[in-house]
Amino acid sequence: MSARPGAQRLLLEAAVGLLLVTFVCALFWWVFANLDTAWEWSRAWDYRAHLLDGWGRTLWISLLALPGSCLVAGLLVAGSRTKLRTVSWFTRGFVELVRGMPLLTLVLIGYYVVFAQKSVSEFFHLDGPEGKIAAGIALLSIFTAAYLSEILRGGLDSIPQGQIDSARAVGFDRVQVFRYVIFPQALRRVLPALAGQFVTLVKDSSLLSVIGIMEFTYGARTYNSATYGGIEGFIMLGIGYLLITLPIAGFAHWMERRFRYTM
Amino acid sequence: MDISAAALTKRYGPLAALDALDLEVQGARVMALIGPSGGGKSTLLRAIGGLELPTSGALAVNGVDPSGKDGGLSWRRRNGFLFQQFNLFPHLTAYRNVTLPLEKVHGHAPEKAKSLADESIERFGLAAHAHKLPAQLSGGQQQRVGLARAIAHRPEILILDEPTSALDPEMTAEVLELIGELATGGQRIILSTHEMGFARAVADQIALIAAGKVAEHGTAAGVLESPREEITQRFLSKVMRFA
Ligand SMILES: Nc1ncnc2c1ncn2[C@@H]1O[C@H](COP(=O)(O)OP(=O)(O)OP(=O)(O)O)[C@@H](O)[C@H]1O
Ligand SMILES: [Mg+2]
Repeated sequence: MSARPGAQRLLLEAAVGLLLVTFVCALFWWVFANLDTAWEWSRAWDYRAHLLDGWGRTLWISLLALPGSCLVAGLLVAGSRTKLRTVSWFTRGFVELVRGMPLLTLVLIGYYVVFAQKSVSEFFHLDGPEGKIAAGIALLSIFTAAYLSEILRGGLDSIPQGQIDSARAVGFDRVQVFRYVIFPQALRRVLPALAGQFVTLVKDSSLLSVIGIMEFTYGARTYNSATYGGIEGFIMLGIGYLLITLPIAGFAHWMERRFRYTM
Repeated sequence: MDISAAALTKRYGPLAALDALDLEVQGARVMALIGPSGGGKSTLLRAIGGLELPTSGALAVNGVDPSGKDGGLSWRRRNGFLFQQFNLFPHLTAYRNVTLPLEKVHGHAPEKAKSLADESIERFGLAAHAHKLPAQLSGGQQQRVGLARAIAHRPEILILDEPTSALDPEMTAEVLELIGELATGGQRIILSTHEMGFARAVADQIALIAAGKVAEHGTAAGVLESPREEITQRFLSKVMRFA
């Protein structure tokens, strides 16, 4: 052992870090130097309102579908855990059905079959562009909820019987056992998986363009075809999504650290 | 403390963990269950504590059917329970482990819960560890916190299922000492244990449970020093061989 492992380690980290940064920069330079398309940032600037509009819509859809999916997932978990067999089978069947379909298919069927029913769209006041977005948010929530509910169910099932015994032994009733002992532990165990699913939700919202919702990806595509634009559209697209997904991931990591209870 | 079991049976599939068990205990202060592994001690304690619904037979503890009307909830709230291990809720500090049931189960205001918790935590010498998570405590400290939680609401009966068998000898001694103090203070206790010396010291009555039945029941001195049944004699000679 060296006398000052800390300093040596720091040196190693710095050296490796420098190497990695150099490598990535070189790679980028090589890739972009070989492209024949020209950068057209001035055109992107002219279309800024259009692009920002799409980005904002994606942000809004995500912000609403996030709690929406949690709500539906909660119902699905409750449904799959009830003592009433028919209800739990029905719920699990529904979850498998949704998980077995590509989101694209679900969105198309949902929008052109279910929400196309006059009675349905009138009941939910879904005519007009806002209605389209509401339907999109609902479909995205349901799709994500199917995955969330499976993650949560796995977490709840992973809590050892001993914890349930202890909770009953201190006198908690059924609801309290769940609320104070099972759920908080399960939630902490599945937090990373949940965060991943939320990030996926944001990215999946790009598929809502198939029913004509002008979200961010749709906006970038129309920008490209209108301006015969170059790759700057795609670059902005990548950065735009990261601006939404990275904070979600960061928040989840913070929660994980904050509520860690295993050493 | 009175316990009355008549033909008490608990089945797990084809296996009878309690097999038409009969037991009459009257006026016990500390009751110890001993016997071979798999004999049914834990199952009997869980039935007595209202954690397990017997398959058939009758059970009354201090005149109450433990898994009676509300599935045993009100009985569980009256008593205290400590298992072999994994008693504490790992996501809560030692302190919160004690105060949470006081608030949510026993309906104490947070201040009152705090003073009750402080009382039992200090009594067990845990003040320095109160704000640690269970994973940061030694096994002995965890059991002491578990004990503090089990007695904080002043239980009618304290039920202990092999409270020290997951501990090393030093930690065992520190936990047994606390249980002994509680017994001296008048706490009614029913426990299962493999520590014969401890059973002899604190229990006034002992029952040997084997194959889901009570093989022998009597005073601590009687059962341990002049056992009547052959199964008790064999069991004692086995466990005393290295004692
Ligand atoms: N939940 C359960 N499911 C199936 N079998 C069980 C269950 N609980 C206990 N048993 C069985 O019942 C029998 C009695 O078990 P119990 O735990 O009461 O014994 P014990 O006397 O406490 O043993 P030990 O001294 O090892 O703790 C054993 O054969 C055990 O395998
Ligand atoms: Mg046992």
